[in-house]
Amino acid sequence: MAQSISEQEILNALKVVKDPDLNRDIVSLGFVKKIKIDQGKVSFDLELTTPACPVKEELKKGCEEAVRKLPGVSHVAVELKSHVSSRPQFGQTTVLPQVRNVIAVASGKGGVGKSTVTANLALALSDSGAKVGLLDCDIYGPSIPTMFGVRGKKLESTVDQKILPLKACGISLLSIGFLSDDKTAVIWRGPMVHQIIQQFLTRVEWGELDYLLLDLPPGTGDAQLTITQTVALSGAVIITTPQEVSLIDARKALVMFEKVKVPILGIIENMSYFGCAKCGEVAEIFKRGGAQKIGDEYKVPILGEIPIDPHIVVTGDDGLPIVRAEPDSLTAKIYRMIAGAVAARMSVSNLTLSEAASLNVQWQNK
Amino acid sequence: MAEQINEVVEKIFQAGERALGVRWKDGHESSYEIRDLRLKCPCATCVDEWTGEKRINEKQIPADVHPIQIEGVGRYGIRIRWSDSHATGIYTFEWLRSHCPCGRCSRQLKN
Ligand SMILES: Nc1ncnc2c1ncn2[C@@H]1O[C@H](COP(=O)(O)OP(=O)(O)O)[C@@H](O)[C@H]1O
Ligand SMILES: [Mg+2]
Ligand SMILES: [Zn+2]
Ligand SMILES: [Zn+2]
Repeated sequence: MAQSISEQEILNALKVVKDPDLNRDIVSLGFVKKIKIDQGKVSFDLELTTPACPVKEELKKGCEEAVRKLPGVSHVAVELKSHVSSRPQFGQTTVLPQVRNVIAVASGKGGVGKSTVTANLALALSDSGAKVGLLDCDIYGPSIPTMFGVRGKKLESTVDQKILPLKACGISLLSIGFLSDDKTAVIWRGPMVHQIIQQFLTRVEWGELDYLLLDLPPGTGDAQLTITQTVALSGAVIITTPQEVSLIDARKALVMFEKVKVPILGIIENMSYFGCAKCGEVAEIFKRGGAQKIGDEYKVPILGEIPIDPHIVVTGDDGLPIVRAEPDSLTAKIYRMIAGAVAARMSVSNLTLSEAASLNVQWQNK
Repeated sequence: MAEQINEVVEKIFQAGERALGVRWKDGHESSYEIRDLRLKCPCATCVDEWTGEKRINEKQIPADVHPIQIEGVGRYGIRIRWSDSHATGIYTFEWLRSHCPCGRCSRQLKN
């Protein structure tokens, strides 16, 4: 009988498997856990930094192949697990302490599809197995309640006066739209915007979340200022259409996040092209790829391009975003790919960002 | 986008009786005399947003002015609550680094 294989030999063999996003081997990243050896049978967990990892199946296969090659191994079983990495905390541990990553979804202009993208990304991340929350901070036009079919719902609060988010489609939802009767157009003024957003960030019982997506109002106004000052955002995603007018303002949003040192995970180009449902031919109505120019200019990746799809509109109006309503459609697939890219960029950013600074100063007067 | 390492803070601390210290990721250490920091408060009440003109009356700032509380702001700076009850100033890390009073930095600024 062949001599039993050692844990060290397995780890050595697994060093050839590299995570393409983090650009390091899975062993030094600490992804390999709970190795069990039962004579020729080897099993272990592969613990990734996000369940939405776009290459998890490839990684799993790579692991199996690498270990199977070892002499004396007859059987390999790899179980995929995930533990979402947290943003490096930064002084303000009191704000959203149970939320691992707070991601702002921003745009320069309204109407570019920011809310639609946010809703579908949230669901795609949730489908991958992550715990997801969505906070709609769009004071000008909160549309999340409509998209999830929860318009007019009333919020509840806990005994200690914390607001409880709604549960819809498996994610936790909160919208500025829940605070006002949606027939009355409310005009929020600066100080009120500040107050409401601060409450949303500090007085909500989100529970434990892997990702909290913030649907920001368009532009770079009071709401953005309050958010970037109140919470240490993990990252920002910029949505734009390919038209020049949208790109100009997207650039402004990007520069704003850069100024306040929020990592920009990437740009998503929405309504990028029109794919004919019958023949699959792609028509580029606007100049596709306009976002790439900004990406190159600021060294920010393009996370994906979403086609114009009338089904997006219908599903949005019907209260069930397309990722859930038509999960097998090409558009749903594209959203899932983009969600994977966002999650992967988030993991990379958390790994490379500096450790939390220590800001605690108790001033001593002598 | 890479972080700018000379604007990344590792630690903020009290450096002696009247100075606030900042240790930067690149190893540099800055020390700011605290009344001087109060006088240079960059907020809109203290500095005219349009002209950049100082609105602060130095004589009205007590000699023993000191921080009561220091808290992080987002990812990019600190807010200092002062003993003269002024609390609107955000000192960004970028600002702090570019105002490092040490000999080396001030020489670099002049050149
Ligand atoms: N890729 C797309 N194809 C077709 N319609 C879209 C697409 N993305 C968004 N829409 C539609 O565009 C409109 C504006 O989208 P919305 O998400 O509300 O934009 P924003 O939040 O940026 O103001 C909605 O009617 C939405 O259904
Ligand atoms: Mg919207
Ligand atoms: Zn001031
Ligand atoms: Zn210096």
